[in-house]
Amino acid sequence: MLAGPKLQTLLQLVKLASKEELIWINGYISGLISQDDSAVTGTGGSATPVAAPKGKFTIAYGTETGNSKRLAVDFAGKAKKAGINAKLVSLDQYRLNDLPKEEFFLAVISTQGEGEPPAAAKKFYDHIHQNGFKLDKMKYAVLALGDTSYPLYCKAGEDVDTQLDRLGGERIIDLQRCDVDYEEEADTWFHNVLNKLGDPDSNAVQPGAAQIRVPASTKKSTGRKVYNGTILTNINLNDRDSAKETYHIEIAAEDLDYKPGDSIGILPYNHLPVAEAIVSLTGVDREKSIEHRTGKHSVFNLLQKKLNIAYLPERVVKQYSGIVKQEIPETKIGLLDLLKIYPVQDSQQFEEVISILEPITPRLYSISSSPEAHSGEVHITVAKDFFTINEETKYGLCSDHLSLLPIDCEVEFYVHKNSEFRLPSEEKDVIMIGPGTGIAPFRSFLAERDSIGASGRNWLFFGEQHFASDFLYQTEMQNWVETGVLTRLNVAFSRDQQQKIYVQHKMLKHGAEFFSWLESGAYVYICGKKEPMSADVELAVLQIIMQHGNRTEDQAIHYFEKLKEQGRFLKDTY
Amino acid sequence: MSDNKESSNIESSVEKIKKASDGLRGTIEKSLENEITGAIAEDDTAVVKFHGMYQQDDRDRREERAAKKLDRLYSFMIRLRLPGGFMTSDQWIATHDIAGENSTGVIKITTRQTLQLHGVIKANVRPTIQAFSKAKLDSIATCGDINRNVVCTSHPRESPIHKEVFDYADKISTMLMPKTRAYYEVWLDDEKIADKKDEEDPLYLDKYLPRKFKIGLAIPPNNDVDVLANDLGLIAIIENNELKGFNIAVGGGLSTTHGNPDTYARLGTVIGFTDTEEKTLKAVYEVLTVQRDFGNRSDRKLARLKYTVDKLGVDRFREELEKRIGFKLGEPASYSFTHRKDLYGWQKNHEGLWYYTLLVENGRVLDDEKSSTKTAMLMIAKTGKASFRFTSNQNLIVSDVKEEDKAAVEEILATYGVIKLTEESSNVRKNSIACVALPTCPLALAEGQRYLPSLISKIEPILEKYELGQEDIIIRMTGCPNGCARPYNAEVGFVGTAPGRYNLHLGGDNQGLRLNKIYKESLDESAILTELDYLFGIFHEEKMADESFGDFSRRKSWVK
Ligand code: SRM
Ligand SMILES: Cc1cc2nc3c(=O)[nH]c(=O)nc-3n(C[C@H](O)[C@H](O)[C@H](O)COP(=O)(O)OP(=O)(O)OC[C@H]3O[C@@H](n4cnc5c(N)ncnc54)[C@H](O)[C@@H]3O)c2cc1C
Ligand SMILES: Cc1cc2nc3c(=O)[nH]c(=O)nc-3n(C[C@H](O)[C@H](O)[C@H](O)COP(=O)(O)O)c2cc1C
Ligand code: SF4
Repeated sequence: MLAGPKLQTLLQLVKLASKEELIWINGYISGLISQDDSAVTGTGGSATPVAAPKGKFTIAYGTETGNSKRLAVDFAGKAKKAGINAKLVSLDQYRLNDLPKEEFFLAVISTQGEGEPPAAAKKFYDHIHQNGFKLDKMKYAVLALGDTSYPLYCKAGEDVDTQLDRLGGERIIDLQRCDVDYEEEADTWFHNVLNKLGDPDSNAVQPGAAQIRVPASTKKSTGRKVYNGTILTNINLNDRDSAKETYHIEIAAEDLDYKPGDSIGILPYNHLPVAEAIVSLTGVDREKSIEHRTGKHSVFNLLQKKLNIAYLPERVVKQYSGIVKQEIPETKIGLLDLLKIYPVQDSQQFEEVISILEPITPRLYSISSSPEAHSGEVHITVAKDFFTINEETKYGLCSDHLSLLPIDCEVEFYVHKNSEFRLPSEEKDVIMIGPGTGIAPFRSFLAERDSIGASGRNWLFFGEQHFASDFLYQTEMQNWVETGVLTRLNVAFSRDQQQKIYVQHKMLKHGAEFFSWLESGAYVYICGKKEPMSADVELAVLQIIMQHGNRTEDQAIHYFEKLKEQGRFLKDTY
Repeated sequence: MSDNKESSNIESSVEKIKKASDGLRGTIEKSLENEITGAIAEDDTAVVKFHGMYQQDDRDRREERAAKKLDRLYSFMIRLRLPGGFMTSDQWIATHDIAGENSTGVIKITTRQTLQLHGVIKANVRPTIQAFSKAKLDSIATCGDINRNVVCTSHPRESPIHKEVFDYADKISTMLMPKTRAYYEVWLDDEKIADKKDEEDPLYLDKYLPRKFKIGLAIPPNNDVDVLANDLGLIAIIENNELKGFNIAVGGGLSTTHGNPDTYARLGTVIGFTDTEEKTLKAVYEVLTVQRDFGNRSDRKLARLKYTVDKLGVDRFREELEKRIGFKLGEPASYSFTHRKDLYGWQKNHEGLWYYTLLVENGRVLDDEKSSTKTAMLMIAKTGKASFRFTSNQNLIVSDVKEEDKAAVEEILATYGVIKLTEESSNVRKNSIACVALPTCPLALAEGQRYLPSLISKIEPILEKYELGQEDIIIRMTGCPNGCARPYNAEVGFVGTAPGRYNLHLGGDNQGLRLNKIYKESLDESAILTELDYLFGIFHEEKMADESFGDFSRRKSWVK
């Protein structure tokens, strides 16, 4: 970071300075920082050399799509430059027994699902939620990545911060929450962490800390580029007599920036009739504009476009019962139904209800196109979500909305990067396991590898219910087999015969070949529904390693773990 | 001999495939394993025909599926081998169940007295063949360049010697089966034959015939099988209820190709007579070897026996045949055909067994608003009190019913509306047949069986108008010039040229002994109806007593 003449001068100065002088300089500089943040962050947040803390220094990250990792890696680099020998570790590789030994512990962790930790951080997260051990040696700080468009903003990070405190850890600096435009704040946070370490009782950073302690949620997220796309194609890939509806949607948009493996995020609107019904039911003034954490909007705008009214989580229902002062069993339910069964007193009370409603959460869809092959377009593969409430078939809000979009109509979306789900270098072999809509990113992978003429081999496993009606992208896949882009294609159709056949069965059937691909360095990718697919598939991989690599279970697990460490076993399941 | 062979010309691709097929095995096993397509390798599509199946796809669905990025909806049509068109009640039950499980469910009676199932997907072909095998049914050689299902006048009422002639159909079919074990290996999982010598085939060698080969046996006076439309026709010669032997007719074949003047429909030429079974079978066998050695193997359009006969000339052909059989053919005996119509309703044969011939429109056995024929047949089969026969007019005969069982069978026929349909259908409907055509037939240019019934409904009123309802006018329709419903020897023939358009043929006779000719080309429905209204009008005015419409058309020289 600090290099050449700069470093020379600094080292010169440090060499000449006495201990007191050094402490003064240190205070002085941190003063500078706190007064004018840009003085630091402007220069990319160069780390101030501090009196390196003696003892174990760990930077641990829990990531799903790579952001936390990117930051952690960057921090580790800066720490080194600051003379701190920091150990960088992903939370799924972290040895939990080491926790009590930690002296300086920085956690960078994102939130996934509905306020859950990333899969890779699950073990750690659960572990620190148990008692029975103390962390009184530990000085820690947590950086929480999140997204204000989700109701439980940075929840996982918050939990980690509180738990470490409960277990006796000493918080170096307040929890920092970061929205999708996290770079700047993250940088400043780390900078201040270093300062604190350099000068434990310096108040100098306090102003700075105070400045960055302002919850990100109140300031408008600027980091997210919203695209205004136009629908080019929207076709149901399933044939007439299928039980499924899967829509291949092609969207044109200006200066798109994405890579194979990324997804797009879409914020669906609520059904107009439902919003209308709520207004007339509560007699609220539809035009009245209200201040909400999602911004200042008219009531109707909030109900139709901003707030989740379709299906309220238990926690909101709970708050609701508080407001209307009625006993309501713990349950998820749509707002309209809720209002019908447990009415509000008046529009006044309803405005209170509005304040507890959460924002509509974005729905993500893996991109099934490739920037190389389909420039100027993103394609997605959307399964229409069906469910039944007392014998009535209902459709998922966003997938239904998308399935109905006509050609030429506009659609807003953003790109959700996933640097943890990337193609390897072009000569590497790739095994892709993508049943159902899990095939989406692999269509992107194949199109990409096809158009750049990648030399690595490609093997795809696909599965659905019926061969005749549910073979998504069949003709495209057949062409890729013919042109040799797909070295192997194995398909499993569960309901074409008595006994169910799934992708994992096909993997086991071709286990010997599968293992030889692993041995020759193949990368394995899984995409699709988490339940129950991904667990079964991982089990199959283990079995294959045991059987065809003739290894004991433990050895197989070890082999598997190695794959993960080498980043050769990647999942994007939902 | 070699100077007569087409050795100069390059062999057609199919010839190469046959020779390379390793006894009709091809790469079928591999094709079946390929899980990403419902189709089989292109060369294999030629090979599986010899096993009695055709790869097809639903042509109605092509465009829509292409838009969905789905491959064509491939499936297989499987055609049974039923010499003389006979089945036991148990076999009918088996077929009913197999059709329900593995195909469209419709059981299709063909113009050659056998049954077809459509829409059998690749994964179900093996199970289907295996289920048929359990019922002692097979589909060997019902398609391909080889002897096909042997047809025989279907109704036992026709003559006391019906059984005798019927047995010939079976003997001939068996005699002309290929020797390869491929069918059993590929579909019935028999073990691979150790020594290929054991399946050497002196008749077909490794090249089989240049083209399909068809044999029919007719018992005068009914020519329901259109015996002269076959490559090889055997006409039973009967004197006071004794089978004297057969007249042998060669070179029948109806197909033509639009815009190819070298192709033509031809009726068989009677070239001689054989009196003993041994001689007859020998003659039949050697007709095939002559065709095998002299037939055209470069141009499949000109490869049928009819072209070989005309190329050699009838006399030269007879010589070559007599050289091979080692005896002279006798002088053709005289015979006479009076009709081609199925004997609808109840009939009793010489042994006192009863037969009910029912109308199955275009041979499609199913349950619909008109009648629940399929259910009725299943019920009857389950009583075990009848056997099943199929006619070349695509109809079904509930057969060999004992006097004491007749009432029970009749009860079922009545309950499911079969009798009503058969009795109330017009003569013209009962005398009409149409080929399959769309959506399964890849060669179809126009509709066949899906369209004719509605056209007949529009023709009936015209006939009524001219009081011609009682006439036995034979109308036949095909979706292309291949002639699968034998439109070329019908009194009124419709041959598809394009969607909704047909050539109108006139002048065939009522017995199938005279070909018709094109009267007008590419007519659409309204033009067809206007023409028929005009023609029937004149027929009504000027017909002589019991003059058939076909003969009348000739007399009026509507066609030259
Ligand atoms: C099912 C049937 C029509 C029906 O509705 O009953 C039929 C159906 C087909 N015929 Fe035929 N032919 C059928 C009797 C005939 C007849 C009539 C007869 O034999 O009495 C003829 C005219 C007589 C003749 O052979 O000359 C006939 C002449 C053809 C031809 C023309 C042969 C030629 O010499 O050029 C073809 C096309 C070909 O072989 O290249 C053909 C081809 C076909 C195919 C297999 C189309 C194909 O090659 O892919 C049709 C299958 C349609 C489907 O989806 O089922 N079919 N075909 C008849 C089955 C008979 C059987 O059980 O074996
Ligand atoms: C990283 C990632 C990638 C993804 N990629 C894809 C992809 O490529 N293709 C794809 O199709 N999907 C993909 N998804 C899933 C997608 O984001 C959505 O979750 C999915 O489309 C369902 O959203 P929805 O709005 O249609 O359904 P929602 O309205 O969110 O409903 C979802 C479920 O909630 C329940 N529910 C909702 N409302 C009610 C109610 N009123 N009463 C009772 N129950 C109710 C039902 O069980 C319903 O099935 C991905 C998800 C992630 C996280
Ligand atoms: C499926 C999904 C669910 C998410 N849920 C939340 C959430 O509940 N709360 C939140 O603050 N952020 C949520 N996010 C946003 C992520 O935390 C944010 O994108 C973060 O930058 C990801 O960091 P990572 O790449 O290190 O995982 C979610 C993201 C995804 C893909
Ligand atoms: S006549 Fe033509 S259209 Fe009809 S079944 Fe035969 S080949 Fe097909």
